[in-house]
Amino acid sequence: MHECTATVVSSEARCSGLLYELVLSAPPLAAQVKPGQFVHLALLQAEHILRRPLSVYQANKDAGTLTLLFQVMGEGTRHLTELTSAQQLQVLGPIGQGWNPPETAKRALLIGGGVGAAPLYLLAGELNDRGVLTEVILGAATADLLACEASFVTLLTAGQVHITTDDGSRGYKGFTTEVAAQLLAENRYDYVATCGPEPMQRIVAAMTAESGALCEVSLERRMACGIGACLSCVVDTVNGKKRACVDGPVFDAREVCW
Amino acid sequence: MSVELSVNLGGLVMKNPVTVASGTFGSGREYAELWSASPSCPGPLNALGAITTKGVSFEPWAGNPGIRITETASGMLNSIGLQNGGVEYFCSNDLVWLASQNVPVIVNVSGHSGEEYTKVIQRLEREEAVAAYEVNISCPNVASGGMSFGTDAAAAAEVTKLCRQATKRPLLVKLTPNVTDITEIARAVEAAGADAISLINTVAGMAIDAQKRTKVFDRGVAGLSGPAVKPVALYAVYRVYQAVDIPLLGIGGIRSACDAVEFFLAGATAVAVGTANFSDPLRALRLAEELSAWCASEGIQDIKELRGALKDG
Ligand SMILES: Cc1cc2nc3c(=O)[nH]c(=O)nc-3n(C[C@H](O)[C@H](O)[C@H](O)COP(=O)(O)OP(=O)(O)OC[C@H]3O[C@@H](n4cnc5c(N)ncnc54)[C@H](O)[C@@H]3O)c2cc1C
Ligand SMILES: Cc1cc2nc3c(=O)[nH]c(=O)nc-3n(C[C@H](O)[C@H](O)[C@H](O)COP(=O)(O)O)c2cc1C
Ligand code: FES
Repeated sequence: MHECTATVVSSEARCSGLLYELVLSAPPLAAQVKPGQFVHLALLQAEHILRRPLSVYQANKDAGTLTLLFQVMGEGTRHLTELTSAQQLQVLGPIGQGWNPPETAKRALLIGGGVGAAPLYLLAGELNDRGVLTEVILGAATADLLACEASFVTLLTAGQVHITTDDGSRGYKGFTTEVAAQLLAENRYDYVATCGPEPMQRIVAAMTAESGALCEVSLERRMACGIGACLSCVVDTVNGKKRACVDGPVFDAREVCW
Repeated sequence: MSVELSVNLGGLVMKNPVTVASGTFGSGREYAELWSASPSCPGPLNALGAITTKGVSFEPWAGNPGIRITETASGMLNSIGLQNGGVEYFCSNDLVWLASQNVPVIVNVSGHSGEEYTKVIQRLEREEAVAAYEVNISCPNVASGGMSFGTDAAAAAEVTKLCRQATKRPLLVKLTPNVTDITEIARAVEAAGADAISLINTVAGMAIDAQKRTKVFDRGVAGLSGPAVKPVALYAVYRVYQAVDIPLLGIGGIRSACDAVEFFLAGATAVAVGTANFSDPLRALRLAEELSAWCASEGIQDIKELRGALKDG
């Protein structure tokens, strides 16, 4: 983990301005980041004394860059949309325990709801490189919120990327969990990873438990320090309270007390 | 010019007047790892005058359920609830590591009753690595104990007296600003044997979610900290400095050398960096150096010259 000064390479609106892609030059972080880890970003506005945790979507070791994909939720994320290239900001990272697919995995299913798709991208790349047959379900409220579809299709193949939208404007009309149920019934997966709204993750975890596959989830908690010291971010687990920042954000679903 | 930075905080000798505020720094291990990994790191954990640990209770405490923090304008609210593994766990884990860090350790002590505070101190008396205690009678985030002792002069004095009987080590008592007259409580703990006073703990506050029409924190109340509380803390130090003879540890919204100097001028002997550790994880590490530079540029040879040195006009 490093505290470093990152330089904004670009900050661009995606999906009619509801999502943003922020590219930062931060070579020590880009060199180290593992799939599922996140960074803790200081805002430039001094009245915002807490940093904002964002997952690493893509990383380019050669260029020394990280790409973050975020949804505008409140003031902090809105300020992040105002960043322009060459501006500098303090970034702590890479943080946390990322995904841990078993060495023996042969077939994997990744399920991302909304911006929860972002931390699955590096994982899909790693699984693909290892020769694991990898399928992804990406869900969003509407078609124009599917920010990651193109990059997942480029990485995998179109047939391995399943799309759902709540309104049916693209792909299957309904929730990711419905498509997940179908795929889990049809195929034998030995690894399932999910990120997105917690109720979705809970359903995925329950379905996967029935199928016997290992399921990992990525949980969001409010974070102050981001390094494991303040206990703002605790998750109830069967092994007691754990910190989402450094003991997570990825947890074995069986460990979580939902 | 070399600046003399060492101070004596009620018997605790600190090579510089900078420590960290309890609960914002864990037991320092996570920060120490970051500090030594950072390419721009000017030094390891022993750059601090002392480290103050998170609150330690006799039995393990689970802390509060639900949301534990929220950001406010130039501050934050927390409702951690003093989660910790208990004194035995602390001794065999945190303290073993701290013993090798070459930095004085102030252990922050929590309890639900006077007896519980005493039991924590009695256990820690067997540990050489402990340099001083900071008794927290000011936490707004626990139902019994905590702030209920710190808002009543007789109760504050009683806890202080019991802790005093349990140790000869420097005893700091940490006060809450959530009282009508903080000088009354300060005088009571001084008379009961405190060696120094830490102030302030967080200011009681709350947050409401307008959309959901619910309280953000399960307990309703939470503790406000950060730059937003600095004026409150500064005034508490200023008033208590005039009321007691024992030294003061100034805490509340401190980020910069200039902030720290303001606390010295108000009467503090040393300062602690709390919420600023979250905004900038290298803040506490850098503060001692910045103070030294500030003094040098102002022609101050000894940091103690600043203590209570407010000029008229
Ligand atoms: C490990 C981790 C990874 C994340 N990755 C992404 C990502 O890749 N893309 C993305 O769009 N979002 C991500 N989030 C959520 C993101 O951190 C929040 O949406 C963001 O902090 C909201 O800040 P705000 O000021 O806009 O909103 P506000 O609601 O105004 O924020 C108020 C406070 O609450 C905190 N907060 C609010 N919502 C969340 C939340 N869901 N999780 C954590 N803290 C929150 C804020 O940090 C801030 O301190 C992640 C969260 C975590 C914990
Ligand atoms: C997350 C958090 C946890 C805290 N935990 C403790 C604690 O365990 N014991 C204690 O005496 N004070 C605790 N405090 C209070 C701080 O030590 C300090 O008194 C207060 O935050 C004001 O300083 P600041 O504005 O610099 O943070 C805590 C504060 C925060 C923000
Ligand atoms: S954010 Fe401080 S412990 Fe996780």
